[in-house]
Amino acid sequence: MTRFPSVEFFEELRARVNANPDLFRRLGTVDMTLVAKIDYDDSSECYEIRFAGYQCIGVRRLDRIGDAAKGSAILSGPYSGWREMIDNIVANGHADLEHTLNTLTLMDTPLRIEADNQLDTDLFYRYQQNLQEFFDNAGERRATP
Amino acid sequence: MPHASPSVEKALDTLSDVRKGKLDLGWMNSNPAGWGVKAVPRDERGLGLEDINRVGTYGDVPDQGSIFGSMAPRGSEIPDDMPSLGCYDINDKSLVWADNAAHLYDEAVARQWSSARDIPWGDLKPQRDDLEKAMCQVCTNLAEVEFVAGDMPAKWMCRINHDFHEVKLFLASQIFDEARHMEVFRKRALANGGGLLRSSPDSENLLRVILEAPNFTTGSALMHILGEGFVLTLFRNGEMFSLTPVEKKIFRLCMQDEARHVAYGTMHLKYFLEKHPERENEIHDILTRGEEATFSLNQTQDTVEARAILAGGGLEHIDEGFNKLGYLFKKQIHEYLHRLKMAGIDRTNKLAIPFELPI
Repeated sequence: MTRFPSVEFFEELRARVNANPDLFRRLGTVDMTLVAKIDYDDSSECYEIRFAGYQCIGVRRLDRIGDAAKGSAILSGPYSGWREMIDNIVANGHADLEHTLNTLTLMDTPLRIEADNQLDTDLFYRYQQNLQEFFDNAGERRATP
Repeated sequence: MPHASPSVEKALDTLSDVRKGKLDLGWMNSNPAGWGVKAVPRDERGLGLEDINRVGTYGDVPDQGSIFGSMAPRGSEIPDDMPSLGCYDINDKSLVWADNAAHLYDEAVARQWSSARDIPWGDLKPQRDDLEKAMCQVCTNLAEVEFVAGDMPAKWMCRINHDFHEVKLFLASQIFDEARHMEVFRKRALANGGGLLRSSPDSENLLRVILEAPNFTTGSALMHILGEGFVLTLFRNGEMFSLTPVEKKIFRLCMQDEARHVAYGTMHLKYFLEKHPERENEIHDILTRGEEATFSLNQTQDTVEARAILAGGGLEHIDEGFNKLGYLFKKQIHEYLHRLKMAGIDRTNKLAIPFELPI
């Protein structure tokens, strides 16, 4: 059982998506780096998730958001927002209509997406189905609530 | 054969010579500089356009396309008697190029989807009348506007020099994307007890501006950056306010395609303005017209009421829906201006429409 958020948690999502190569082969290639930034009252945790081709090729924890690779899209929000999304995915096996990545970010709350430039932000839209499937993998595992 | 034309006679004579062993084989020694290359796939995604551009000089894209005006593949040997087809007159690379064109084409090919197979149509559920009608009106609007992004590239593709094949191939992929979008919104309108509702004269006015743009670049700025950028937000909007997993998936998949088109348009305008900074005002002028037409379209009652009903969750919550649309409009403008800034053009003080909706 892995805790959210942690490197192990995202590594498990990575392993799951890579263990099902047909999924990304059907959805198509993804070339982007997404940083999951979980905000607490006085601190943040940042995890870099790198995608290339049909795979998630790496996950690592960043000491600070400034360490994110150039061109990263940063998905950020308070722990409560992330917690709600993950809990919903675990409970339903996938995000329900109200808890998809797009829905949670469109109004910039509870989560928001941003990057240094708009085209990098647009990568979040361009690979939306793959990213949703990546996080929906939490529904097929038993993440610690 | 009772009669053969001189050209047929000549071909038959050649064939006869070859069959008698009078071989030429000169073609075997043609293009020596282009021989001996071995393109390999970069990774498991397979052999892409980007990969074959890395070998020899095949990835060298000339600033001016071949003067031959033919379909000869870039990098091949072109005989002196190659006829010009006379139709390829967009020969300046800066008028069509984007540095991401090959990558976007590879990606587009890998990310094709099917509106028949990949949408969970069986998950549609009967909806309240107001919601179903609002969804059908939105789908009617989208089915009306989507294929302009097929027709516009098609209008220019047949004039683009074949030396810029990366651009032509990308535009071809976009045309098919738009075909699928038109198809999927039409299908949604017809699949859940509703149907198509009212088409829009304001849409036609916007579509006319795009189709009648005086050149490819102004048309692209209008369509790829302004039009598709706004529609990208509409798709995000649609995903959020979906009634079932069916619309959710439709809007999400369309959103992905649209973001790819926006990426091409932004990078093309950037390339164009780097080469032709003196033509910035031309872009401003066409965007002013486009912004006015887009704004009029987005605020017509048929369009805005239907979207507000979906955003609010029903006719009785339409005010709440308008508030959400107001926020999304600000976001739409913000993203539009940032894409333009990436392309090298600042319209912050030239925007022809409000930054915020008065709602």
